[in-house]
Parts: sequence; structure tokens; C-alpha cells
Amino acid sequence: MEILLYGLVNSFKLILIAFGFTLVYGISRLPNFAHGAIFVFTGFVAWIMMHKLNLPYYPAALLSLASAALVGVLIYQFILKRIRGMNMNEIIATYAIGVALIETFRWLGFRGTTFTLPVFFEGVAFIGDVPIDYQRLMVIGVGVVMLAAVWIFTKFTRTGLALRGIAQDERAAMMLGIDSDLTATLAMALGSAMSGLAALVIFPLGSIVVEAGYNTLIFALAVCMVGGIGSWGGTVLAAFVLGFLQVITVTYLATHFQMVVTLAAIIATLILRPSGLFGKHKELEERV
Amino acid sequence: MLVAEGLMVFYENMLALNNISIRCGENQIVGIFGANSAGKSTLMYTLSGIILDQMKKEKMRGGEQITVMGKISLQGRDISLTKPHLRARMGVILCPERRRLFPESSVLENLKIGAYLATKKEAQETLDYVLEIFSPLKKLLRRSAGFLSGGEQQMAAIGRALMAQPKLLLLDEPLLGLSPAYQQVVMDSIKLIRETKKISIIVTEQYARPVIPVVDYAYIMENGSGVMSGSGPELLDNPDVKAAYFGV
Repeated sequence: MEILLYGLVNSFKLILIAFGFTLVYGISRLPNFAHGAIFVFTGFVAWIMMHKLNLPYYPAALLSLASAALVGVLIYQFILKRIRGMNMNEIIATYAIGVALIETFRWLGFRGTTFTLPVFFEGVAFIGDVPIDYQRLMVIGVGVVMLAAVWIFTKFTRTGLALRGIAQDERAAMMLGIDSDLTATLAMALGSAMSGLAALVIFPLGSIVVEAGYNTLIFALAVCMVGGIGSWGGTVLAAFVLGFLQVITVTYLATHFQMVVTLAAIIATLILRPSGLFGKHKELEERV
Repeated sequence: MLVAEGLMVFYENMLALNNISIRCGENQIVGIFGANSAGKSTLMYTLSGIILDQMKKEKMRGGEQITVMGKISLQGRDISLTKPHLRARMGVILCPERRRLFPESSVLENLKIGAYLATKKEAQETLDYVLEIFSPLKKLLRRSAGFLSGGEQQMAAIGRALMAQPKLLLLDEPLLGLSPAYQQVVMDSIKLIRETKKISIIVTEQYARPVIPVVDYAYIMENGSGVMSGSGPELLDNPDVKAAYFGV
């Protein structure tokens, strides 16, 4: 029961972390290796707003999400736009930005465990006889709401449909009047805001540390690679697989094996099924 | 409606289009015929602006150098350097070779994505219109587009292009791989679209025979050059054309 519950929480944590990454890649084929940095960035921005600028929690949270989205937009407009289509360069550039961002915070003195964000609700619930704090339940709640929101957005709104179009065939979407730069900017904004949202929900469980930036990126990558990079369904499934795997490892082995299992999952995926659980080449079968 | 003059396209130093000039009047159907590799698709990509995107991407990758020359004007406005999505906004909609539907989306969703440029009202009206002229699609709306037959895909693709509210519809080899029955359906629909929507249509095809009765004017291309042009009957009467493109 404990494993089930905490596995579920951990899985949704991974969904929150990885979904933004997979969304950006799925829509615009942009690997955003600054994803983890934006995660940390949002946490610190929210903290600064609350403790240095003395803003109440909700405005601070909203502003930090907006700034995360802004960072995504700036990364696209100033850097990715110019090197788009060259995957290796995209990875190097975004990773460099990410490292710069994370290390800037370290340099500014954001170290140690003194930086925390408040939880949404104080308190502990009991499900069966397992104690679980409300914030962990929030992780599940926010995860579900986010997935539902993405689903509704991409199914029923004009912009969302345009994103789905460009994700499947960029040129065909262009022929219908959809602007590739605009959708990529939007995807970066959305993906970064999702990373920020993950930060706001997950950081209250511990404290904001710069190292989380690197771990988050690795977790996001692991989930995406196991699930099939760019596949939304695969990401969710892989998040559950890895989420439970991690909790089982922590329970029966030790905490520090968590990362080992994650990396092993990447290696196993690459050997057994290189394109991931749901990864496939998106070619329209030709019927002649 | 559309006037293209002296279009030249090079892939590196390979000449894909050699000094092509075509025009298409208001509410006209213009045919472009030529064998494989005659440059029909390149011409369509040039007219719709997709070639500019190819050019940009190849340049970034350091790949093939694509050079485009010539002038394209739409209703008197020079659009030679206009980006493809802006050309679409001006009403130039390409329905590409091999259809390129969004394979993971259902037919309905393909049509909805096509309606990106349409208002809500236009989208609803056009959807009804598309289902009226392509009634077999009604039963397939929930089917994912990757699993349709060639003919069904072609209907969906033309429907999707119509959803974008074209003023000039470019159809690149709409008959490719279709059975004669479906070819007839598609050609009938092209005629019908011209009459009811009052738009201009440019259609390319390898075999002129099923298309020629519908067109007002046609061009014949060979190795990137325009070799002949004329109205349907004129071309039909030309012995060289007959031998080469009608298989007589």
C-alpha cells in the first residue's frame, strides 16, 4: 500500500518534470536541455519574490511561472531560432544556457538547504494506515489537472490543434498557414511553464537546491527516452514505470540507487527498444 | 490572379525549373503536365513558398544550396519573398503530393487543423460543404488518417485544403495512385469546387487524359522547362502531345 501510494506520487512527479520536455520536443523537435535549469530558476524566483520582495504566495507563484515561460521564449527567440534543425547544436546551446543559469544561482550564494517554498496545504492525511502529507497528494492532483488541460487544449482549441498539426508534419502545417516559429515559441513557453509548475509543486517537499537542476534534466531525459521521445502517451507510461521502479528501489535497496536504476533504464531501453516504448517513425503509410 | 514570371530554381547546380512562366486567371483551372522529375512539384513548392523554407533549412544545415529566381505576384502583389504561412494567409493553399495528412489525427481533426485560418463560421460552413462533396468521408470522420485508402486520403486532403479558405488552390498530383473510379470522383469535385467556391485552381498531373477535360488552360513541362502551352482542345489536337501524354 505504501509502495502503491508513494509510487503513484513519484510517478506524477516524473510526469510533471518530463511532460514539458516531451511537449517541446514533440511539437517542434527542439531538445530543451535547459529544462532542469528552468525548474530550479522558477523555484528561486518564487523564493526571491516571497522573501526579498515580500509578495504573497499566489502572486509570487504566478509571476515565477510567467518568468519561466519568458525564459523559454527568450531561449527560442535569441538562440534556438538561429540554429534550428541542427540537433547537436541545439543540445549544446540549451545545455550551456542551463548550466549558466544553474551556476549563476550557485555563484550568487543560493546554496544549502535554507531555501524552501511553502506547501499549498499543511497537514497529513491517512489513506488506509499510510500517512501522506497533503502536498504529496497535491502532486498527483496538479499532475492530473495538467494532463487534462493539455489534452483539452490540443483537442479543442485552434492554437492547440495547430500545435498538433505542426508536431506531425511541419511543412504540411505550414501549407495551411500555421507559423512554425510562432508554434515553437509557444511550445517553449508552455514547456518551460510546465517545468516551473513542477518546481512549485515539488520543491515544497524538500528545499530548493541547485543540484536539482541536473537531476531533473536526467529524470526528464530518462522518462522521455524510455517512453519514446516526443510521444505523450509514452511519457506518461514511462513515468509510471520509472516512478514505481524508483520507489521500489528506495524501499528495498537504498536511496542512492535511485539514480542508478534510472540510468539503467535508459541503457536497457536503448539496447532493447531504441526508439522507446511508444517511439515510432511518424511516416504516413503510403497507400497506392 | 496569379502571375509567375521567369521562375528558376537550382538545387546546387542542377536546374530544376528553367525560366517557367505561368499565369492563372480568376476562377480558372490551370493544368500542369509533365513526367516524373519534370519539375512539377518544385513548381508547386515555389508557388506556395515551401521552397523558401527548404532553402532556409538546407542553408542552416550546410546542405544543398537552393537558389530561387523569378517573380510571383498574386492579385498584383509581389509575393516572391513571402513566407509560406503568410502566402497561405493570402489564400494560396497547397494540397501537396502524396497528400501528407496528419497520420495520427482523425479525419475530423485533420479538417479542424486545416481550419486554422478560418473563422468559426467559415469552418463550420466549409466542413458541411466538404462532407457534402466528399460524402464517403462522413463515415470516416473518427478514423485516423493514416489508415485510410489512397482515394479516401485524397478526399480528406482536398477537404483539409478547402478548410483553409483558399483563393488559389494548388493540387499537386491529386490523382497519384488512385483507381479510375476515384480519379473520376476527384476530377468531378475539382470542377464542382471551381463552380461553387469561385476559386482558382492549379492542378499538376503526370497523365493529362483525365484532367484535360476540366482545365481552361494547360502547360506541359519537360526537364524543368515549359515546352508547350495551350487550351485543352489545342493540346489534344497536337500530335506530339498526344503521343507523349495521352498514350495514343
